[in-house]
Amino acid sequence: MTSSKVTPLKATPVDTSAAAQAHTDSNGNPRPVLQVEGVNKIYANGTVALKGADLTIRQGEFVSLLGPSGCGKSTLLRIMAGLGDVTTGTVRFWEQGYDVVGDKGRKLAFVFQNATLMPWARVRKNVRLPLDLEHQSGAETERKIDDALEMVGLKGFDNAFPRELSGGMQMRASIARAMVTEPNLLLMDEPFGALDEMTRNKLNDDVLKLWQKNGWTIVFVTHSVYEAVYLSSRVVVMAARPGRIVDDISIDQPFPRNSDFRVSTEFAGYCRQVSQALERASAMGQPQEVKA
Amino acid sequence: MSAPLIQNESFVKVAAPLAVGVLFLLIWEIAVQALEMPKYILPGPIEIFKALIDGWQPLLGALYITLKVTFLAFLIAVVLGVAASLLFVQSKWIEMSLFPYAVLMQVTPVVAIAPLIIIWVDDTTWALTVCAVIIAIFPIISNTTLGLRSVDPNLLSMFRMYRTSRWQELVRLRIPGALPYFFGGLRISSGLALIGAVVAEFVAGTGGAKAGLAYMILQSGYNLQIPRMFAALLLITLTGIALFALMVWLSDRALRNWHESALEVEH
Repeated sequence: MTSSKVTPLKATPVDTSAAAQAHTDSNGNPRPVLQVEGVNKIYANGTVALKGADLTIRQGEFVSLLGPSGCGKSTLLRIMAGLGDVTTGTVRFWEQGYDVVGDKGRKLAFVFQNATLMPWARVRKNVRLPLDLEHQSGAETERKIDDALEMVGLKGFDNAFPRELSGGMQMRASIARAMVTEPNLLLMDEPFGALDEMTRNKLNDDVLKLWQKNGWTIVFVTHSVYEAVYLSSRVVVMAARPGRIVDDISIDQPFPRNSDFRVSTEFAGYCRQVSQALERASAMGQPQEVKA
Repeated sequence: MSAPLIQNESFVKVAAPLAVGVLFLLIWEIAVQALEMPKYILPGPIEIFKALIDGWQPLLGALYITLKVTFLAFLIAVVLGVAASLLFVQSKWIEMSLFPYAVLMQVTPVVAIAPLIIIWVDDTTWALTVCAVIIAIFPIISNTTLGLRSVDPNLLSMFRMYRTSRWQELVRLRIPGALPYFFGGLRISSGLALIGAVVAEFVAGTGGAKAGLAYMILQSGYNLQIPRMFAALLLITLTGIALFALMVWLSDRALRNWHESALEVEH
């Protein structure tokens, strides 16, 4: 149904070296999970949403996309998910050193800005939706659902309806739904933007824990510098008009991170660095000339 | 004692309109008696009630005929209307090509085409049913189609991400999401089915054993049995109210777990 340009569609061995098999490339970096190469996205009305986007997401990374509104960060995320066409360029998925494998191999999950639950279905039914859609059933499936619910802290809420849950808990259900498929890549589009700060901090900590524990790879869209620095191993800064990637900052701080990190000088330093990058990016996005 | 009862909203909701009704009937009866109004012009409520009791057998028979046509028409309208909606959402092309004809059917006065239908359809019951279906079907089609289209775009994206078939999308996403709209259509349509059944009978002018409430009203009018006319009218009104209440109950049962329309407001 969606006509995303994910190429190529058949398995092509690209790197069969021992290094690739061992989840690292020749430079010793973790193997890539996804590569965005020269992606341009131009809407029918001529708006350039993305210009020359190059980005490699590697196994186990927590990458935040940060930028002013209109910089195309959500567009880029949707393209990664195969939810939008690219005008030119490619999005490549990798698995075990192979170019993936078409649609079937793309095990990814998306967490939307809103919880996006089915209001008519109970929590458990919502969480199991991806498995239902893949026609999975049986004891193993039920165990996966139990695990996911327990990990996000919704154990015992199986039979609640979404409207009976708080915003934070709805988001937890949404994360549990993303988890059940055990995705290679978890894409999150400003997932906690609508929540109050306390709930948001708590969920940030919980997502970090889950990320570390399960060895996930996450791409996380946010407009909060603090959230980006706190969570990420890498912050990708984007600018608007046209939407493009302008900076790529590694946050070289150990995990697990906790509230001590939030008040550390390192945290403040990175926040300053990222804020400055964001300011430069915002300045770039300003209209340079006013047409009469 | 009375203060808390007055503050109880659900009590007031029933009591207030009931009080208005009783007051109205009382004034009506007093006025009719005081003015010595002849009952072939305006009978009082007591007279009407008497007519209802005395003529219960033909009235009930006529009610049965009208109910039969109403329910038959309603059922057919629901089945055909939902089928049409499901067809419409399959493609924008189908909807664009066919929807104007659904509108055409809606705006053509059934009174104007009823004589034709009566010529074409031999059996009176079926002729009336066809007329009532034409009146009742439109709200089902338009509401259900709207509902099937009103899908959370993010949920739809998610379904597409998992490469879901159209069938799964329909069954798991579109149909449950369309239920509140469908029930909205049902409420309107149930009343219209009754109106259709009555109006069609006025036009068709049935007679004999297959006569419904509309014919009873006509007949009573000719015979100046005005109290019986009112009694038949009362039965039609009560039927309409009962149908509406049934639809509200149904929709409440189906949606109460999740939809805003069926939530109880807490004070």
